[in-house]
Amino acid sequence: MAQFAPLLRKDHQPVRYLVVDDSVFARKNLMKMIEMFGGEIAGEAGDGLTAIAEFNRTKPDVVLMDITMPQMEGIEAVERIVRQHPHARIVMVSSVGYQENILAALQKGAKHFVQKPVKPEVLYEILRYVLSDDPSAAGAPVGVPVALAGEPRS
Amino acid sequence: MTYLPEDRGAELRAFFFETAAEILQSLNEAGLDLEARPTDEEVLRRLRRAVHTLKGDSAACGFTSLSQFAHQLEDVLTPQVAHAQGARLAEVVLAAADAFEALLRALQNKSEPPALDKLLAIIRDIAGTVPAANTPSITQAAASHAFAWTEYEQLMIAEAEHRGEPVFNLALHVDTNSPMRAAAFQLIRNVLHSTGTVLALRPEDSVDSATITIVEAALASRLPEDKVVARCNIPSVVCEVRIERARAANSLEQELLADLLEAQQKAAQAEATPDSHTAATDLEQAGEPSPAVAAVTDASLRVDAGRIDSVMNLVGELIIGKSMLNRALADLEQRHARDPVRAKLADALAFQARVLDELHKCVLKIRMVPVEQLFRRFPRVVRDVAKQCGKDVALEIAGQNTDLDKSILDALAEPLMHLVRNAVDHGIEDADERIAAGKPARGTLYLKAYHQGTQVVIEVRDDGKGIDLPRVRARAIQNGLLKPEEAERLTEQEAISLIFSNGFSTAAEVTSVSGRGVGMDVVRNVLDRLKGTVNVTTQPGRGTTIQLRAPLTLASIQTLLFRVAGRLFAIPLSSVVEITRVTASDISRVDQREVLRLREQILSLVRLDHLTQIHAVEPQPAKRKNTSFVIVIGSADRRFGLVVDSMVGEEELVIKALPSEIISSDLVSGASILGDGTVVLILNVPAVLSRLSRTTPLGAIA
Repeated sequence: MAQFAPLLRKDHQPVRYLVVDDSVFARKNLMKMIEMFGGEIAGEAGDGLTAIAEFNRTKPDVVLMDITMPQMEGIEAVERIVRQHPHARIVMVSSVGYQENILAALQKGAKHFVQKPVKPEVLYEILRYVLSDDPSAAGAPVGVPVALAGEPRS
Repeated sequence: MTYLPEDRGAELRAFFFETAAEILQSLNEAGLDLEARPTDEEVLRRLRRAVHTLKGDSAACGFTSLSQFAHQLEDVLTPQVAHAQGARLAEVVLAAADAFEALLRALQNKSEPPALDKLLAIIRDIAGTVPAANTPSITQAAASHAFAWTEYEQLMIAEAEHRGEPVFNLALHVDTNSPMRAAAFQLIRNVLHSTGTVLALRPEDSVDSATITIVEAALASRLPEDKVVARCNIPSVVCEVRIERARAANSLEQELLADLLEAQQKAAQAEATPDSHTAATDLEQAGEPSPAVAAVTDASLRVDAGRIDSVMNLVGELIIGKSMLNRALADLEQRHARDPVRAKLADALAFQARVLDELHKCVLKIRMVPVEQLFRRFPRVVRDVAKQCGKDVALEIAGQNTDLDKSILDALAEPLMHLVRNAVDHGIEDADERIAAGKPARGTLYLKAYHQGTQVVIEVRDDGKGIDLPRVRARAIQNGLLKPEEAERLTEQEAISLIFSNGFSTAAEVTSVSGRGVGMDVVRNVLDRLKGTVNVTTQPGRGTTIQLRAPLTLASIQTLLFRVAGRLFAIPLSSVVEITRVTASDISRVDQREVLRLREQILSLVRLDHLTQIHAVEPQPAKRKNTSFVIVIGSADRRFGLVVDSMVGEEELVIKALPSEIISSDLVSGASILGDGTVVLILNVPAVLSRLSRTTPLGAIA
């Protein structure tokens, strides 16, 4: 598997992720990739309601959010989180068949989307892009990879 | 573009010349600012807008030479050129302003336009000095991809550019591997909206987005181009980004529309602010170069001056009508003093008089304009003259909000120009001379306007060397204006007034020695015509102050009526200091002049019948009377007493202009009609005064 330069926050701290998926396997998979990218798991949730609670508790840098979940669908969770935290970076994770839902999530304020099965290199680029957009976190211009701004992890 | 039909075209062109003058003014002002701060981007923006407006307006009128010239100039008004050229750009701008003026005049008079080749060459030369940084990418991108925005979208783009927001044309190639095109399109939209203002988008919505391969957008964003590209390079959605700076405003019509749109927005903003009125005035004062549209948005009207004049005339007739009615009422009073109808009539008349008075004031106000309109051309004049003479002169302006009648303002323009030029040219010394005299090297010229009673005072003061009075006296003797012994007797004021004499000014060497003289008779003539005064005070080595006093309005004046030798005269009440009754024994003769001792002051007396050689119409000449009245008249700092036979009263007179061929004497400045139809002549106080001071004793005239 390809080596990834760590994605770091502006303050050179690891990026903190909230992983939301009703499938434990999917979460593990994503968390493994996050680790590869030099990130840190701030929290995880198996449904929308927990996701909102976890978001408020952990204030993650990035949320990876599944579309279809019990209790509360991803879209609604996105809407609620963005309403409270307009700058929240939420990346939708979904299978191909759910284009309508992704569209809705994007309209509600999701920052990007990635298809299942998630390819690490695709997710990496998306995360890098999402992290670069906002001066409140990653800050570095997109042209210069954020990851390269920090020291390589030993 | 479509041209308007001929009559509309003529109207439009007339309007264009009017607004172009204002644009030129702001161009001059901004040019001077640029000279002071050569790299100030705000100034550059102002300049660019002024030139841009001129370009658009002139093109709309079909004046291609003008619009092309403006176009060339506009291109060099960039921060890059300003940095590369420094003060030279300001020189070019000012030279261009002059060229614009010459062009405009030529267009207006349909005469031969001036040659601009030299200036254009300089401008092209300047343009060549800019490092060509951003041009290649634009042309490249433009060649590879054609954006077809609708007219409305182009308008939006032009308007954003005009606001100073860069607009980019973007072509985003959607990653064909992405199976979710609708989502991709939505994401692109999100990103575009978070990057700037989306002015145009293709496709417009996600209806047919399933097969979409390219998203085109016009985006206004203050982000640098590379950042915009980075934002649009959305991983897994966009595989290629093409970008170019939008160049929408190709059509001049669109530029005009864009200007309009901007003005509308400004108006909306002005309305949004609670203090919309001052906002509008500030805008005007700041010399914002959108006068054409400002006129629309300020809810003000441009009206032909002739129409206001005719309203003014009618009001004047009404005032005459009022005094006719009052006379009739006075007659009625004598005959039917007890009649209750008389009281009713008097009330009605008083009411009507009050309303008429208001109406009169309102109409006068229409004609009032701030003196700023006149003052604002002087920074440029002072700069140019000072530069010609190799002097350093600062100009300080005060009271530019002082209002006065437009026609008076226009009439004062010429004399004021003379005075300012003279002050810089002759009044203020060279830097070396100033330092030797212990003064700062930089001379200062003060222009000040203020109201005093019913008059407006415009003051031109310099801190130069003052008028060399002994030289003036000597020159007057040399020119045969005075005999040496007369020159001896002249007071300082009288000596100063010599510079106003006709023919005195033509002696060039006097001008260069004594400092003043050029066109001073013109100044005096204009002020006389306006029933105003000129007052000069000078202190050797300290400077000269020239005060121009003019009535606030020409249309009507408060006067004092009196009779001399049976004839009715009026003088402006504003020049009357006091009235006193004298007997023949109070008057004594000193040095062949009649004088009156009034409260320990000696007052020269004037008899109109002597001055004018009028023939008495009364069987018994007034001279036989033992008592008469003396009207003490103050004009400028001088006073004299006018001996009159009887006083008639105060009256508001509407002045009727008399053709110069009817007035045989300069002692009369106009005429008016009283309520009973009597014609009354209005005395020209300054002329009387100048006759008094200039001439030999009175006996010689009479």
